Amino acid sequence: MNAIGQLAPPVLDVRNLSITYGPLRAVRGVSFSIAPGEALGLIGESGSGKSSVAYAVMRHIKGQATGTVRVDGQDIMTLSEPALARMRGRTAAMVYQDPMSALNPAIKVGEQIAEAIRLHRAADRSTAWTRAVALLERVHLPHPSEIAHRYPHQLSGGQQQRVVIAMALACQPRLLIMDEPTTGLDVTTEAVILELVNELRRETGVAVLFISHNMGVVAQVCDRVGVLYAGQLIEEGTTQQVLRTPRHPYTVALMRAMPAIGGPRRRLAAIPGRLPDLRTPPVGCVFSPRCAIAEATCHDVMPELDAAGHAGSTHHSRCHFQNEIHQRLPPEPLMEEEAVTTAVKGRPRLQMVDLCRSFRGRSALPFLRGPAPVRAVDHVTLDIPAGRTLAVVGESGSGKSTLARCVAGLIVPEAGDIRLEEAVLERLVQRRPRPAQQAVQFVFQNPDAALNPHRTVAEIVGRPMQLYGGLAGRALRRRVIEQLESVKLGERYLDLYPREMSGGEKQRVSIARAFAGHPRLVICDEPTSALDISVQAAILNELLALQRRHGTSYLFISHDLGVVRHVAHHVAIMRQGRIVESGSPAAVFGAPREAYTRALIAAIPTLEPRPQPVSLPT
Amino acid sequence: MQALGFILRRTLLLAVVLLVVSLLTFGIVNVLPGDVATAVLGDMATPEQAAALRERLGLDEPLAQRYLAWLTALLQGDFGTSLQHGQPIAPLLMGRLGNSAILGLLTLTIAAPLAVALGIVAALRPGGLLDRLIGAIAVGAYALPEYVIGLLAILAFSIWLPVLPGTSLMDPNENPLARPEALVLPVCVLITGMLAFISQITRASMIQVMASPYVRTAILKGVPFRRVVLKHALPNLLPPTITEIGMYLGYVIGGLVVVETLFSYAGLGQLVTNAVSYRDVPVIQATVLLVAAAYGIGNLLADVVALLLTPRLRA
Repeated sequence: MNAIGQLAPPVLDVRNLSITYGPLRAVRGVSFSIAPGEALGLIGESGSGKSSVAYAVMRHIKGQATGTVRVDGQDIMTLSEPALARMRGRTAAMVYQDPMSALNPAIKVGEQIAEAIRLHRAADRSTAWTRAVALLERVHLPHPSEIAHRYPHQLSGGQQQRVVIAMALACQPRLLIMDEPTTGLDVTTEAVILELVNELRRETGVAVLFISHNMGVVAQVCDRVGVLYAGQLIEEGTTQQVLRTPRHPYTVALMRAMPAIGGPRRRLAAIPGRLPDLRTPPVGCVFSPRCAIAEATCHDVMPELDAAGHAGSTHHSRCHFQNEIHQRLPPEPLMEEEAVTTAVKGRPRLQMVDLCRSFRGRSALPFLRGPAPVRAVDHVTLDIPAGRTLAVVGESGSGKSTLARCVAGLIVPEAGDIRLEEAVLERLVQRRPRPAQQAVQFVFQNPDAALNPHRTVAEIVGRPMQLYGGLAGRALRRRVIEQLESVKLGERYLDLYPREMSGGEKQRVSIARAFAGHPRLVICDEPTSALDISVQAAILNELLALQRRHGTSYLFISHDLGVVRHVAHHVAIMRQGRIVESGSPAAVFGAPREAYTRALIAAIPTLEPRPQPVSLPT
Repeated sequence: MQALGFILRRTLLLAVVLLVVSLLTFGIVNVLPGDVATAVLGDMATPEQAAALRERLGLDEPLAQRYLAWLTALLQGDFGTSLQHGQPIAPLLMGRLGNSAILGLLTLTIAAPLAVALGIVAALRPGGLLDRLIGAIAVGAYALPEYVIGLLAILAFSIWLPVLPGTSLMDPNENPLARPEALVLPVCVLITGMLAFISQITRASMIQVMASPYVRTAILKGVPFRRVVLKHALPNLLPPTITEIGMYLGYVIGGLVVVETLFSYAGLGQLVTNAVSYRDVPVIQATVLLVAAAYGIGNLLADVVALLLTPRLRA
């Protein structure tokens, strides 16, 4: 908390906020305040209630909220609708997760900003427009007067988010609520957006409530951090206090589950168990069912959010053992360093030889030539040895998914060969003979879309066994159960449908399905990007264990360098369809040769605040 | 440029569709079992009369040649001669087309905005009293065929409560706008069905639009609710709704046939009904083709308007 914060009344003061959605108690007794000019980060996984808190501050939730929320001194819980409309956008403004959908596709971006100014500042059209253009310049958009006339679809994701930020700043609000503002953006774009947020904070003195699941992102922006779990604030303090010396086992567990780009290679520690049922939250500590150091009192008595260390400390934790958790928690396990760093002998399992694939745009007029085709995969040659992982890393539009789909036979490459143990594979998966289909399997990013909602787990996992192994009846059932147990799911999942499972469980089923036919290569296309950090750790560990057991090769597609460093034996950085750099993770991350790789690494939000802005080579 | 390409592509496609329709109507009328001449003249005709008619219509020539001759004449604006009236079809058709267009366009200009407005009102409080009321009436109206609604309307407003003429009894050359009271009931009957369908389609899209993140952005920007609906939701609601209205044109045309016959209104629908009962083959062919063209052009216009209202597509 800064010096001004002690004196001036808080811009946002939330007291004992509880939110219920029917029987679901999404948020329970959350209190915090934000001083003028201060940035508070709320960290939490899905189901923590962090977005509910953010929207409750704007009084825009479907559920029932109790408690008090004071924005700039006004209790918004009791405001009339017209008074609420005057507060929204003027005193407090919001920045959203997905800027493409947050902007109205039918209105010019300049008008979307100018509208707020006309409404709240009673400005006339031309004044409002001039100010909108100035705001676009303020968020560093090139040619602001021209961009103001564009529609959202004519801007890139990063530019759209700048527009949303400009819109939020239009009436010089005292409070900015940012709900996962960089989730879904590329790391390099994320870095510049975070830098912009910091600059605007410095220059306008706006207070920020920053919602995120990413601790690195929060560390780049926030002075103070609160950690939410199952609807309760379980830890709060300065960013340094919470992220350097966490005083709650859940915060520690989150840090240990987070793959990092630097430091020694650790074993990612998954958090066992799952979120408690929010209809009947535990009477004791909410985290106690999953906590490594829980004792009898933890299950019976709910701890208060108390000052940690000395009385009056700014660091608060809701744990009975907050002052001794570091003595009680087991030490962090380091990864056993791979013995084999020398080149693996023998033929590679998979070879991609000079693969090319481009996509043609549609021509504007019939019988005319369309725009020049985009080269999504541009002469890519890569090998994957047996039992090893090749990670292809790139930002959106780099062609990494197209490459994966070519190998899987879902997209036909225009040129080049895909060889599985020297045998050239048919380009289209339907043309590949059964054994070749069996040998190459796929784990997709979104298990919701990949699993048939009308099939039970037993049918999903059993299908490849019937198809490739000819199993049936009892034998099939026994093998399915074995397969489920190998991904830490048991017999009780057999008759469940995908909708009855959590995201992590569904991804485990996807993996069990992929491994059911004993594949030699599994293509993992962003297998953990849709999952929470704690679940991601478990899934990555599972993939590593399966690889060790079966000697499977992985083609691992990801945008997350931390994850890649954790799983890959070999890394290839892809940009605009080409491989710009490749090598061992130690070489690529330790001593990158290409400027692009360096920029990519520098852009990753780490727990250390970044000293200077990142620039991307053109 | 994109829009121009779209219009060009669709116009070409429409030409192909009309060619296929011409082939089908010509085929259905001429290839179906039975002799056209006998069908036209009826059972009482002598073989000599039938032969004379066959000669006059050129029915002895090969089918492909007749089709080509018909199509060539058509492209030059010659729709042939009516068997029933013994007059060239083109002027006959144009007068009737005008009358039908008045009925159809009146229906569209009244029903389309009203249906969209009702749909929006219903969507603002899904499950509310207004929504349930509009929904119930819409389902009822949609379930009743036009002739039932028409007869009920005649019963109610020209027999029980004689305020409006129950039949137009108009001369084909008369301007229907000269007697606006005769238009009221036919137009009302046509409107009912359209209101029912389009309002429910609009309601469904509006609920979706109101739940979208950009509407949330507008609300949290402090935009008053009325303005959120009119300035933020409506521009995104209109394009898909206009496309739906374009597709609904087919039903309006179908309704015209029923309503014109019911009210003795001298339009295309009445013409084609008469032509069918008189087996006036050239008139049937010409009318079907004209109706197909009207539907195709109407549809194309709706799609172009929808395209022009969607910034993402028109650029």
